[in-house]
Amino acid sequence: MRLDGVRKEYGETVALDGVSLEIRAGEAVAVMGPSGCGKSTMLNMVAGLDRPTEGSVSVNGEDLGRLDETGLALFRRHRIGMIFQFFNLLDDLPALDNVALAAQLTGVRASQARKRALELLDELGIAGRRDMYPSALSGGERQRVAVARALMNRPALLLADEPTGALDSVAGEQVMDLLLDLNQIGQTLLIVTHDPQLAARCASRLVEFADGRVVGERSLERAA
Amino acid sequence: MKAVWRAARAAVRRRRLQTVVIGLVLTFTTATIVLALALLESSVAPFDRAFEAQRGAHAVVAFDPAVVSAAELAATAELPGVKAVAGPFGQTVVATPPGNELRVPGFGGGRATLVGRPAPDGSVDEPDLWSGRWATAPGEVVLNVLPPYGNGRAPEGDPRPIVVPGGPTLTIVGYASSLSATADGWVSPEQMDALAPTATQMLYRFDDSASQADVDAGMAAVAGALPGGAVLAEQSYLTVKDAVVSGTGQYMPFLVAFGLLGLAVAILIVANVISGAVVSGFRHIGVLKAIGFTPRQVVAVYLVMVSVPAVAGAVVGTVIGHFGSQPLLTTAFRGVGLGEVVINPWVDVVAVVGMPLLVLLAALLPALRAHRLPAAQAISAGSAPRPGRGRRAQLWLSGTRLPRSVSLGLGLPLVRPARTSLTMAAVVLGVMTVTFASGLVASVTEYAKVADRSEAVQVYAHPVDPEAAERMDSESVRATMAGLPGAANVVAEVFIPVSALGYAQGVDIEFIQGETAGMGYTEQLVGGRWIEAPGEVVFSSKLLRQLGKDVGEHVTLTLNGGRKDVLIVGRMMGGVLDNAYADWDLLAELAPGHEVRPDWITYQVQLDEGTDVEGYLAAVRAAEPGLRPEANAGLGQYTVTVISLSTTLTLVLGTVAALGVFNTVVLNARERRRDLGMLKSIGMTPRQVVAMMVTSMAALGVVGGIAGVLLGILVHRQVVPIMGEASQIELPPVLLDVWRPLSLTLLSTAGVAIAVFGAYIPARSAARLPIAEVLHNE
Repeated sequence: MRLDGVRKEYGETVALDGVSLEIRAGEAVAVMGPSGCGKSTMLNMVAGLDRPTEGSVSVNGEDLGRLDETGLALFRRHRIGMIFQFFNLLDDLPALDNVALAAQLTGVRASQARKRALELLDELGIAGRRDMYPSALSGGERQRVAVARALMNRPALLLADEPTGALDSVAGEQVMDLLLDLNQIGQTLLIVTHDPQLAARCASRLVEFADGRVVGERSLERAA
Repeated sequence: MKAVWRAARAAVRRRRLQTVVIGLVLTFTTATIVLALALLESSVAPFDRAFEAQRGAHAVVAFDPAVVSAAELAATAELPGVKAVAGPFGQTVVATPPGNELRVPGFGGGRATLVGRPAPDGSVDEPDLWSGRWATAPGEVVLNVLPPYGNGRAPEGDPRPIVVPGGPTLTIVGYASSLSATADGWVSPEQMDALAPTATQMLYRFDDSASQADVDAGMAAVAGALPGGAVLAEQSYLTVKDAVVSGTGQYMPFLVAFGLLGLAVAILIVANVISGAVVSGFRHIGVLKAIGFTPRQVVAVYLVMVSVPAVAGAVVGTVIGHFGSQPLLTTAFRGVGLGEVVINPWVDVVAVVGMPLLVLLAALLPALRAHRLPAAQAISAGSAPRPGRGRRAQLWLSGTRLPRSVSLGLGLPLVRPARTSLTMAAVVLGVMTVTFASGLVASVTEYAKVADRSEAVQVYAHPVDPEAAERMDSESVRATMAGLPGAANVVAEVFIPVSALGYAQGVDIEFIQGETAGMGYTEQLVGGRWIEAPGEVVFSSKLLRQLGKDVGEHVTLTLNGGRKDVLIVGRMMGGVLDNAYADWDLLAELAPGHEVRPDWITYQVQLDEGTDVEGYLAAVRAAEPGLRPEANAGLGQYTVTVISLSTTLTLVLGTVAALGVFNTVVLNARERRRDLGMLKSIGMTPRQVVAMMVTSMAALGVVGGIAGVLLGILVHRQVVPIMGEASQIELPPVLLDVWRPLSLTLLSTAGVAIAVFGAYIPARSAARLPIAEVLHNE
């Protein structure tokens, strides 16, 4: 993934000011910085949820600036998995269908999608909660469902926006372990967080943001 | 209160689209309600209203100027029981020119009554001068004519002067209509003097006038105060009223039904839209409570929030309704001589006060529910559906081979039954309204076609010149007309009042000469069969009720001392022609030698398909110059007015219903912003978002469309016969069977169309939602 001189303006506000960043396959990168420094905006650019005012974003060699809305949707569907602070699950669907949905959008048959979704829920330790609706799940369980959904289409890049921000410490630990495990089996990770412990546990590189710019970058020794 | 006002103002700003939709719905519904109330008010005793507005004459009396002087007549104003008088006016009867092409009542039939009157105002009979000006100089005339539909004719100085044989040429300078029918035309007093008046007209209003006996008593007092033989002729307003009411009264129940429908639909849609707006705000209500608003303040915020657009919409709607309805209703009622409609202030007051009150009531019920809910519960009630709803159906849908966006869309309505019910109610109401209203219009149209026999008879002809008519023999005239190119069949009809034994009132029988098959008579039958022999008659159901007879029974008719026992073989709907049919030969059997003046006869012609009607009319004029042929316009002027009014109401109600659906869909889309953002974040394309949203509404549209059509037909089938009953018209089944497979299909798809149209715009904007913003904000 590569960001080249990305600038993003909202009216007179400059959210990103010439950010350049590169993440290699298999890397786990944490982005930290104070509130409003542009971390989430940068994540949205990478996910194709928003477009830069200047500069370019490419993922897996694909220049997102060349894609129209449908192209971006297909890009997100096939290349990106996203995990949000507040889970963003569909309240109307039980856990299993929330996960299967991502594959079904690509045209995979329901039975196949459910099979893979069940495997993922099983791997994440919540297969027993597959028929529960989000409102009946704990915060940690919801985030695991969200992770399973993000992994459903085997994305090249997993983006996590404050994935432990809404969780208690135990659930947060579980999610950190999960992300670490994923990276260790080769999943590329980009994590935006306020939590230094999360960054230390899961990331191999730390990028520091301030006022819409990259102000520091260093390798991390993963905490045990 | 400041906090409440601020929160409400912020809520209005945040929900701009919803505010606009509520404002629009209120504007349309209030305008509809003004129209409906004004229609209802105008339809109650329309004759009495218009008669009072014109200060109509309870008695129009012609006196012999040789017997009574103008001063003596003027003195009758002081008699006890006489409330007001107008006159004395000079009056004369003039012959209208033969072949006069001016097709106006009273000036085409050979003679007309002219009255010399200085002005159209006065304490009695103020004619509605609807075009041009009053006749103030010699050589000018104002004709007593009903305004044409749309008021698109007859300016001052009509280029077709009236040439009075042996008298002056009169230029038409204006058109007025007098509900009291005091003259066929008015000239200046100077012109009347030149015409040599043969009678003196006086117009009276009495203190007591409710019954014919009251009017007779008033007239007796007047006649008693004058020399014997002074009264030449008199006409009671009740006679005129009967004629007008029998012509227009049959349509009043249709108009009343539309008025009531407009009221009901407007109220239901407003209730639906407003309660939907409040239900969708439950989460916001919870948040307000959580930050310290008391339950009462929360309810106040919501009431203020919906009241702002509601009051604005009600005010704008009342203004539009008032100024839009007045000309519409005036056109409708003026067209039958019922004068200008003035919308009473109470209608505006009810609309402008009542609609916001209705909105408050509709908002109060769900707001009170929110009032009772704890904050946390209100938040969850507004954001998340109860788990498990529609689970089975959703499971089944997700397992089908339908594209996931479509199956998700189909499942959405099952998740929120309350919201689905509101949307469904809006669709059902909309489709039901359009179905019922279009059915009503079709029934009115069908009624007019059956009553006028416009599908069977294309040309009418009347002898216009009494002298020429004297030479006309009905058989030979029919033969002449039938011999012209394009004629398929010609019948002659004459209207003769006869008596029936045991029945005090007369029976008006239309005697028919010629082949009646295919001439539209049988379509008017509601029971029995058509006439096959001279001794058989067909009576209207109203007449049969009055006679206490039924099909298969005999009745004895008498005329000029002749008597004949006839068999009632059929029952017809009645209405405009509230009379009876019989064979021409029966007249000879009933009263041999009874005079049938040739100028009483009407000839009716059925043309071959594709015949040029104008060409045929010209051929008739050439072949028989004493006849005035005219095309059967099909729908009478008033029918056209009623249909136009009904169509306008249908369109307005349909628009209101569509707005109701639109509002519900907007709320749905708004409520699902976060879900839509999430779905887009995992790769749902804009097209899939639109497909999902539109599918969810289309599913409701299909079910609502079918339910709405069925309900509309049911209501139509219940209401139309009640309306017929109110008009004392027994309706033939053809008036109820107005639905055709194509129209039913179109109406059913109207539900889908309303829902899809309502869904498409919010769905498109949902598809364009900035995901990052939505997911961040929600």
